[in-house]
Amino acid sequence: MRLQLRPPLRRLAAFAGAALCVSALLVAPARATQDAAARLTLFREPSSANAGISVVHPQLDLGTTIGPDFHFAAGYEVDIVSGATPSVYRVDAVSTATKFSDTRHQVHGALAYQRPSSAWSFGYSYGWESDYRSSAVTGTTTSDLLDHNFTVGLSYTHNFDRVCDANNSNIGDQPLDLKPLTLSTHCFGSETDVTTHKLAIDTFQPSLSWTATPKLLLQLGSTIQILDGFQSNPYRSVLVGMQSRTPQERLPEFRQRYAVFARAVYALPAVRGSGLFMARLYEDTWAVQAATGEVVLNKYFGPGLLVTLRGRYHLQSGASFYRDARGYLELGPAGQYWTGDRELSPMSNYLTGGKLAFIRHPGQERSSWYVDMELDVKYELLIYHLDAADAPNADRARAHIVQGAFSLRF
Amino acid sequence: MSISKVMPILAVACVLLSGCSTARWTVKPHQRELLADRIMQPDGNAQETAADDHVLSNREGAIGGSGTSGGGCGCN
Repeated sequence: MRLQLRPPLRRLAAFAGAALCVSALLVAPARATQDAAARLTLFREPSSANAGISVVHPQLDLGTTIGPDFHFAAGYEVDIVSGATPSVYRVDAVSTATKFSDTRHQVHGALAYQRPSSAWSFGYSYGWESDYRSSAVTGTTTSDLLDHNFTVGLSYTHNFDRVCDANNSNIGDQPLDLKPLTLSTHCFGSETDVTTHKLAIDTFQPSLSWTATPKLLLQLGSTIQILDGFQSNPYRSVLVGMQSRTPQERLPEFRQRYAVFARAVYALPAVRGSGLFMARLYEDTWAVQAATGEVVLNKYFGPGLLVTLRGRYHLQSGASFYRDARGYLELGPAGQYWTGDRELSPMSNYLTGGKLAFIRHPGQERSSWYVDMELDVKYELLIYHLDAADAPNADRARAHIVQGAFSLRF
Repeated sequence: MSISKVMPILAVACVLLSGCSTARWTVKPHQRELLADRIMQPDGNAQETAADDHVLSNREGAIGGSGTSGGGCGCN
């Protein structure tokens, strides 16, 4: 398929070009700073029974200062997903997995206004794939208080999303007759075999940062998210009951999600390093509860090498309507909802890995065309622990994440 | 919630806030050398954080906790 510049992408490109021109005009006396960063993430989740899942995720971000107070940034990213997944969640589902591939594009841009003790930014993003459209606006503000020792931040994002689905308007009040979407070919067109559902997402993120000592930074924050609309996987069916009925996955249309977290960053000057510690608690109205902990250690070696080690543990309960495949088969649905989503199952995971960052600054004694440049290489291993052999994606016990990045400021 | 239950909370909040305003609790600009380093920025690389969040948010039932809106050490 030929990639064309769609209207939102054209608008963003025009906006970026105009901003760069304005930047060049406004900042003639003082040097403007531009930044560019490219990143490629390869995600591979092998399966014991089929092709598993592979994701290629390139990102490109560009930014420039506009005068002394403004900064404009724009970016583009793609998710190229391929692999095999079972279309029906049931016992021994992995043997029925079918191959698929999909590509998601996203463009985003943001304009920030920065003052010595405060900042405001406004951003927009647009994402599209064969069966999903997403528009999101974001506003963020931060204010420094008490000699920059405290920073209060608030971010709000609203998503106007649309999801393609099979047209099930003729089933009446019989959710067990819901048919899944089989192809996205007709999505967002005029054909009547498919329809479009809305999904509105509101996300609030207040935060407070405290510079506690010359070596210690503390953060407290929260995320409150409200989702209203179609949230099921339109392609997925679930085998419920002993009558071999396989209706489309059905999830509640309303979900409220709450998370609180605390982070601490502590400097270790004796070893030219630092340690970051994070703890998070989460709960939502689907009865998913979770606790997450993370440790990140950084250490410089020589003038231009930064080594980072990361460890993370996540533990969660399942949604109130979740059952494993055998449970849905033998007991039927838990109420009027059913799912085959691993995210909604009781599970835990471990993530471990490390990153090498090669950093180069020009010598201070001579001028240079760049401010700094950096090359990153990262590998992480994600290991899942599910609570049952018939849990969703039980055949995919681990994932490998490889990442390379290059960034430049000039 | 009754006033008697709210008052102790307010009292603790007042003590904490008043403590924040004292010079003893503040970090001076000349003491921020370590805090200005990139390894002291919890959200140092927005692109990397976005990529990491993208991987995990599609594989866990939870959200949040990976960053704050702005924040930092006030080193500028």
